[in-house]
Amino acid sequence: MLTMQNVSMVYRTESVETHALRDFSLEVDEGEFVSVTGPSGSGKTTFLNIAGLLEEFTSGTYKLDGKDTNSLGDTERSRLRNEKIGFIFQSFNLIPELDIFDNVDVPLRYRGFNAAERKRRIDHVIDMVGLGSRKKHLPSQLSGGQQQRVAIARALAGEPRFLLADEPTGNLDSEMAESVMQLLEDINSKGTTIIMVTHEPNLAARAKRNIFVRDGRISTGEPELQVAVGG
Amino acid sequence: MELGPIWRALIRNKSSYILIALQIAATMALMVNAVSIIQERTRMMSRSSGTDEANIFQIYSMSFDPAQDYQAMVAADLDAIRGFPGVANAVVTNSLPLRQGGWSQDLKTEPGTDNEGSGVAIYFVDEHGVDTFGLNLVAGRNFEVTDVSWFDPDAGPRWPGLVIITEAMATELFPDARPADTVGKTAYIDNDIPVTIIGVLEKMQAPWKDWAGVERSMLVPMKRGDGFARYVIRAEPGYRDELIPQIEQMLAERDTGRVVDGAATMTEIRANAYLEDSAMIKLLVFIVSLLTAITSLGIVGLASFSVARRTKQIGTRRALGAPKAAILRYFMLENFLISSVGVVSGAVIAVGLNMWMVQRFNLTPISWYIIPVAMIALWLVGQCAVYGPARRASLVSPAIATRSV
Amino acid sequence: MFRYYLKLGLLSLRRNPILSGLMVVAIATGIGACMTIVNIDYVMSGNPIPHRSELLYYVQLDNWDPNEAARGVNDPPPQVTYIDGTALIAAKNARRQVLSYPTTRIIQPEEDGQLPFLVDSRSTTADFFPMFDTPFLYGSGWDSTADDNHEYAVVINKEINERLFAGQDSVGRLILMNGDRYRISGVLDTWEPTPKFYDVNNRAFGKAEEVYFPFSVSIDKELTSEGNTNCWKAPAGNGFESFLTSECVWMQLWVELHNAGERQEYMAFLDAYVESQKLLGRFPRPVNNRLNDVMDWMQHEEVVEDDVQVLLGLAVLFLVVCLLNTIGLLLAKIMRRSGDISLRRALGASRKAIFSQYIVEAGIIGLAGGVLGIAMTWLGLQGIRGLYGDFDFITRLVTMDWVMIFVAIGLAILSALGAALYPTWRACGIQPASQLSTL
Repeated sequence: MLTMQNVSMVYRTESVETHALRDFSLEVDEGEFVSVTGPSGSGKTTFLNIAGLLEEFTSGTYKLDGKDTNSLGDTERSRLRNEKIGFIFQSFNLIPELDIFDNVDVPLRYRGFNAAERKRRIDHVIDMVGLGSRKKHLPSQLSGGQQQRVAIARALAGEPRFLLADEPTGNLDSEMAESVMQLLEDINSKGTTIIMVTHEPNLAARAKRNIFVRDGRISTGEPELQVAVGG
Repeated sequence: MELGPIWRALIRNKSSYILIALQIAATMALMVNAVSIIQERTRMMSRSSGTDEANIFQIYSMSFDPAQDYQAMVAADLDAIRGFPGVANAVVTNSLPLRQGGWSQDLKTEPGTDNEGSGVAIYFVDEHGVDTFGLNLVAGRNFEVTDVSWFDPDAGPRWPGLVIITEAMATELFPDARPADTVGKTAYIDNDIPVTIIGVLEKMQAPWKDWAGVERSMLVPMKRGDGFARYVIRAEPGYRDELIPQIEQMLAERDTGRVVDGAATMTEIRANAYLEDSAMIKLLVFIVSLLTAITSLGIVGLASFSVARRTKQIGTRRALGAPKAAILRYFMLENFLISSVGVVSGAVIAVGLNMWMVQRFNLTPISWYIIPVAMIALWLVGQCAVYGPARRASLVSPAIATRSV
Repeated sequence: MFRYYLKLGLLSLRRNPILSGLMVVAIATGIGACMTIVNIDYVMSGNPIPHRSELLYYVQLDNWDPNEAARGVNDPPPQVTYIDGTALIAAKNARRQVLSYPTTRIIQPEEDGQLPFLVDSRSTTADFFPMFDTPFLYGSGWDSTADDNHEYAVVINKEINERLFAGQDSVGRLILMNGDRYRISGVLDTWEPTPKFYDVNNRAFGKAEEVYFPFSVSIDKELTSEGNTNCWKAPAGNGFESFLTSECVWMQLWVELHNAGERQEYMAFLDAYVESQKLLGRFPRPVNNRLNDVMDWMQHEEVVEDDVQVLLGLAVLFLVVCLLNTIGLLLAKIMRRSGDISLRRALGASRKAIFSQYIVEAGIIGLAGGVLGIAMTWLGLQGIRGLYGDFDFITRLVTMDWVMIFVAIGLAILSALGAALYPTWRACGIQPASQLSTL
């Protein structure tokens, strides 16, 4: 499903070279639920950006669904993001001027579905996350948990092959966080591959596989302990 | 295609967009009315006077010697001018087209004080008048030497019995006849003095450019011999400018009991007559350009703010699969919608403003096509103005989406 | 606190120098365009003789065609006939009265080498000078006995005096005009009433005449008007005598009346005069006499050109666009900083404090725009002057007096406040912390 081999990412400014990822290699199979943890600055977000085709990397190879992404242009990368990947962000990233329906609609518009197909999908995913009665509400009228459910609905509407979640519960209280986690587990159980970046050990523990990143590499040490230290 | 959500997003954040739409509307209203005035003035200025403007000039002489025999002086002056090398022809007259000062009177088709007449501009000329002004006689005949008389304050007829009129005047007097067929007909001046139309000119403007009857003129075969003589001279092509000082000097030297002055070419007379109109055109062009520049800079500024404010949103859209082109298109379409609201309300304001100005200042109503042309122009201006910020928006990295606030 | 806000405002403006500049230039251009035209309109519609304008009345009598009014629906002709003008002057029923018309004369300098030259002259009765309070450099106008005795008296202006007598006191000296010698009774100082109220029939913004001489002499010389002459009926014969007794109007009659009572009496006198003329078979129309004071007459004659009024309307619209432009940009700027505002609110800034902060920022823009706008007005006036070339009356229209400078400053402040208020009000409406959690 997702194969990274020796991926490196170097940010250069005039005076400093920062190695965000060093020879990062990882394989994720279809249907997995992988959590990525690590201290802040460890390269989690860079990994997520590269995995999600949000950013290009310096060296190495990254194959998504068997396709080498190195050679792809922006349009092709955009299309892959749109069709294969669903994103869930820490701060939800809903568009404040659009209501729930239109927010979920955003990726579908870029997909080029016709109006009826879009409506069918939007209604389906909004019902799935339990917000069927709120379609005409603006994000600001919803609670944080509800907003994140909308974001999940938006990620799912395109029926992506895998979901990338960036601290999906980071801005939620524990009760809401729990319901979001249950939703993710539910989605995973239906076959969608999930990669979740988090710094919360107890959430990471619920994934089927844990990866611990430190200094831009996958660390082989005791992840729980390291996280506790890196906080 | 994406219009629905763009529109819904617009109206949820309306105040600044309304302002820009209003600005476009006001720009449109001003532009349409300014262009309409420019068109009207340009049309006015492009009217031909019917004369050979490139070669004609005037010079006048004003005598201060009361003992002078003015008739003899004018006759001798005319002979001298006509014989001058480079002069095609010359005439003594009272005015010229576009001079903004002259003589007009009513001409009637029936004698008497109770019926309505039509105003006509009168040029007093001799048999050289038609040729000197370079007029086109389309029917009838020119005056002959024997038709021309000197105006005599103490005796003789007030009006010679023969006149030449323009086609416009012929149609004004005899709306049912073809202009050429009015030759031989009689009209009445001073209520009851009959004059016979012996010729019809294609065109000769009256001296007043703003007069509604500016195309209605009449030649009367009469010379006035008094202290003031206005000579209109037609030069052979290419000789006009060098002739002016020569003729001035020649006239001044021939008789020292007068002031020779007022030299002006027809080109200068035209420029002077339309000075305010051409100034108005230039002013309006300047105002419209300035306004368009300010409005487009406003659009650039507002779009830049809007892009900056929505950077994260743009990143999110990119993350969700929007290609660069889609982001570019989003901002272009957004601007198109704002401009559309602007130009549609602008069209309404423009028409309203025009109706008021037509009533208040007697302007010509706007031609309908200016409105769609202005709409398209402003749409284009908007699209060009927003292109820069929209392109910058399309370059926002999708990685912005995962960056925390 | 004000200094703190001033600092914040300047800081914020410096952060987007191009945009701040754009806003300032937009306001300045709007004010510049508007004030340029307002200024011209102001000069055109100005009072040319403020201290006497309510004492001077222009006389109109309706001697016109029974079938058709001279102008409009029922407006009497804009000038009077020789018969009526001289009769009303002779009656001396007002405190002062002046009858005049424009002519052209030729001055023949008697110095060697100077050539004869044309001058714009005015043939007038003696009251012209005291009535219109003309400034004299030397001497004064002629006495009314000079009118009665058909004396060759003359008043010349400063330029002619400069040309003929090198600016020296020339009172009592003689000049040769069209073969006759005239004795100088006075030299006018610079005098250019704008509009040229005493004769708006013939170029309302033309220059005042260079030479003035008695009306009675002008008639003796059989001089007709250099301005408009209108007749509804042809004179009976060809000569000057028949022209004088005709119904042609070609001269202007002004009378001086000091109060409503005098005005009423004079009106009654005019009506009685017309009635008496009707008995002689003149004045076929119903009695329709008019007395307008200076400003009413200027209004009635619409001396302010239509073009200027059209431009004024467009210039106001222009200013509106410029203000909308600035309001839009300020608003967008403030909205973009709503995070900052809500943070300040959360940190304890009151609504009033936010208002003060942003009104100061907007005020700086407005003020800068206003100051630059006044400079632009000056530029605009120069531009207009350039556009119209040496067309003399325009040159006199493009001066800016203190009144106009104050109006420009006022307009600048109003515009600035207008542009600042709405965005500032919106800034005040931002809730504390509302912006902290969302995008």
